[in-house]
Amino acid sequence: MFELDQRIAEQLTQVALNSAVQVRVGSANSFMVTASTMVPLMQMFEMGGVYISASRGAVEIIQAFEAIGVDVSHIQFIDLVSSGILGGTDVNYSNVHFVDSPIMLESVLLRTLYVLRTMNSQRNFVFLDSVNALAIYNDDRMLAEYLHTFINTFRQREILSVVLTVPDQTPPLVLSNLDTYCTDIVDRGQVVVL
Amino acid sequence: MQPTTVYTRDRCLTGIHGLDEILRGGIPYGSTVLAAGTCGSGKTTLGMEFLVRGALAGEACAHFTATEPSVKLLENIRQYSFFDMNMVDSGLINVFDMDVLYSWLGLDKASFELEDVHALIKAIVDIVNTIGVTRLVIDSVTTLCYKIKSEQLIRDFLFTLGKKLATLGCTTILISEITSATENAHWSSFGVEEAIADGIIVMGDSERMGHLLRFLQVVKMRGTAHSRAKHAIELTPLGVMLTPMLKWGASVDKNTRWGQ
Repeated sequence: MFELDQRIAEQLTQVALNSAVQVRVGSANSFMVTASTMVPLMQMFEMGGVYISASRGAVEIIQAFEAIGVDVSHIQFIDLVSSGILGGTDVNYSNVHFVDSPIMLESVLLRTLYVLRTMNSQRNFVFLDSVNALAIYNDDRMLAEYLHTFINTFRQREILSVVLTVPDQTPPLVLSNLDTYCTDIVDRGQVVVL
Repeated sequence: MQPTTVYTRDRCLTGIHGLDEILRGGIPYGSTVLAAGTCGSGKTTLGMEFLVRGALAGEACAHFTATEPSVKLLENIRQYSFFDMNMVDSGLINVFDMDVLYSWLGLDKASFELEDVHALIKAIVDIVNTIGVTRLVIDSVTTLCYKIKSEQLIRDFLFTLGKKLATLGCTTILISEITSATENAHWSSFGVEEAIADGIIVMGDSERMGHLLRFLQVVKMRGTAHSRAKHAIELTPLGVMLTPMLKWGASVDKNTRWGQ
């Protein structure tokens, strides 16, 4: 049976809507921590949300949630991966939107704002999966600048931003900036022994 | 000490997400604004949204189309959730084919002389005056000016038209087709439109690692302070949306598509 980390739900009860939560994960526990964060937001706090998928295609993530019995049909997905795969955008889910590439960072922000404007829920979150995936394509300084804009845009609109990152795959500049911008941290990252 | 009173001109709220913010409250009423852009940069959409937002506020609006038939234009604009065909049926949005207008005026000719230009100005002004139009879009002024062979005549045409429309309290967007939106480019095809316009909005594409990112930049707007930064835009069913472009993105982006 799939077990959620309940301490994450407890930690989220202390978080205000205009917060930015940095969620540090390891490569192995990424989905468990993602689900442990998303499930309380959706079910306990009854929030609507936008899931930005830069690490994997949105369909794969939706199916992973479905496999553990979690309904994500009311969550809107912005998929930055599948447009880069021929035929990848031919999906059967109406809650999946596509952006051409993870380098179109401004488009990702605008598409997220657009999707949020179409949603009916009063309280919303934006889940960014993940900073390390965006770092594959984007220059460190540009990514740091983007996350600064991203987090402040949603904080200003009282939309909770949750930023997932694998620390040992994230450039040090970006990681140190995240520590500065984010108001809260959920640390489930792997310990790297050098 | 008494606070200093700062005079501000009344504004025409474009209603376009983010643009009024850039313009610190909208376009000063009665301005003639050149919306200059490369192909596919969103000029027509911007112009139509400007009109539709006006119609939603109860203003009478007119669109003179020289680049595509009005039927096709309306079909394209129907995909936007803010548009309602009733706006056309109720006379709030009036779309005119320039070709039809030329026929009415007996201007079915390859090039216009002075008297033809005056007849055209009179026809446009009469329509604006009769309907009580407060928002006007001419798409595109480039196509229209192709028929005017002298640079001086183009200057006179635009200056006189802009002046008369301003007198009528009509805020006008002149759409201009350009082939380059780089720093060194002209913002108009004939080089005279940009000098006459009260405002210039440039639209184009930045290339980022093989992908084109649409941008918008307000280069000039008389009568208001405004941002002069480049903004990324998205054309969504809810209309045009803007956000400032990433500063570090500029080091990655190239404008090579439109030449250096």
